[in-house]
Amino acid sequence: MGSETDSELMKLVQAGDSIQLATLFERYHVGLFRYLLSLTRDRGLSEDLVQEVFLRVLKYARSYDPGLPFQVWLYSMARNVCFDSFRKGRAEQTGSEMDDLRSSEPLPEEAIARRQDVKFLQEALDGLPEEKREVLVLSRYHNMRYEDIARILKCEIGTVKVRVYRALKELRERFCELRGETLYDI
Amino acid sequence: MTFDEIRLLIPRYLAGQLAPAEKAAFETQLNAGPELLIEIEELRSLWNELGRLPQEQPSDALRARFYQKLNAVARERDRVSSGGFAWWKSGLQGLVRQTAIALAVFVLGWYAGRVNLPSHASTQEVKRLDTEVQSLRQTVALSLLERQSAASRLEGISWCSRVERPDNDVVSALLTTLNHDPNINVRLSALDAVEKFSNDAAVRSALVNSIAQQDSPLVQIALIDAVVHMRNNAAAGQLRKLTGDTAVNAAVRQRAEWGLQRLTYQ
Repeated sequence: MGSETDSELMKLVQAGDSIQLATLFERYHVGLFRYLLSLTRDRGLSEDLVQEVFLRVLKYARSYDPGLPFQVWLYSMARNVCFDSFRKGRAEQTGSEMDDLRSSEPLPEEAIARRQDVKFLQEALDGLPEEKREVLVLSRYHNMRYEDIARILKCEIGTVKVRVYRALKELRERFCELRGETLYDI
Repeated sequence: MTFDEIRLLIPRYLAGQLAPAEKAAFETQLNAGPELLIEIEELRSLWNELGRLPQEQPSDALRARFYQKLNAVARERDRVSSGGFAWWKSGLQGLVRQTAIALAVFVLGWYAGRVNLPSHASTQEVKRLDTEVQSLRQTVALSLLERQSAASRLEGISWCSRVERPDNDVVSALLTTLNHDPNINVRLSALDAVEKFSNDAAVRSALVNSIAQQDSPLVQIALIDAVVHMRNNAAAGQLRKLTGDTAVNAAVRQRAEWGLQRLTYQ
């Protein structure tokens, strides 16, 4: 894919060269899918929503402000699309749809324990309240600065700071509980 | 900085996002007491474990569907924006230009007649003109669909979309194109066009039957999406067959499974 910046590509899209959206799609669709999956926990719905988000990018291209990072604009739109779909009752909330980790081959004990930990951590992450899970996912997996997260969530940077910290703490509590460990709070 | 304020910096410290001055101030505080060090190490371990969680990948179908839509949008925009009206050209452009001239002549004739005709007669005239315009569009569309070049057939599909009350010939031609055209983009375009007639039971049935006839996974996935979108429960049997057929492309089977769930719970 090209070396143009996101803003340069959006300028072309705004000028009517809709095919340039393909480069932006390749750059962002996997991350966007994972973000939406963290909110919906439904693979099929998340894929539908990714499609809808990029169609909206095309439709509302003229409203894009090049002063704003494209990723922030994209994720803000994704958030709106996601919550619109919740309001329409499309979210199935089926729980985590991680790939089946079971294998037909017997595993060494260490590998079983490791696999169990991965399962517990995913379960703990899925069990977080949505607003905590969302900030943690954006911070940990999308490497977003707190300023950008605050713009997407339409809140103060201070709020993001507190939420990420509390999300990590609560995640640790849930994870330890699932593992059957006693947690000594600091 | 209070102890609580320092603790709030831990996630950014772990993410490597603290500015140099902030980081220096933070690290100075680490010596203030062992509690902070212990907390950082516990959360660092968790932060690293989060990085080891398997990351989900979207299916191939997502990309396929996106590019299908994007191509459709780009074609439509090209069609609208292509300028350069030549009075006379040969081949495909000649046919299209001639049709445009014919339509323009009809409109001018109608306008001239309307000025001189009483109002009840002008209504009749409008209806007659409209019928002739539709018939002309239909003729152009069917003619283009027979052409050798894929670009012509795509143009033909575009003309089909402009026929307001198409007869069976147009719908039948679109279905034939969907099932037999050698070019995948043309087939995808034909599907877009024929979806507009999904209120017709025969069309709905034809779309379901088309799924099994297709050799392109892209077209199969687009058809599955279409039958789900139109809530065509008669497609459930076909989708069930696909999910159980190991010879079918994995992305298609996955989409069929999704489609079956959607139809079952709608």
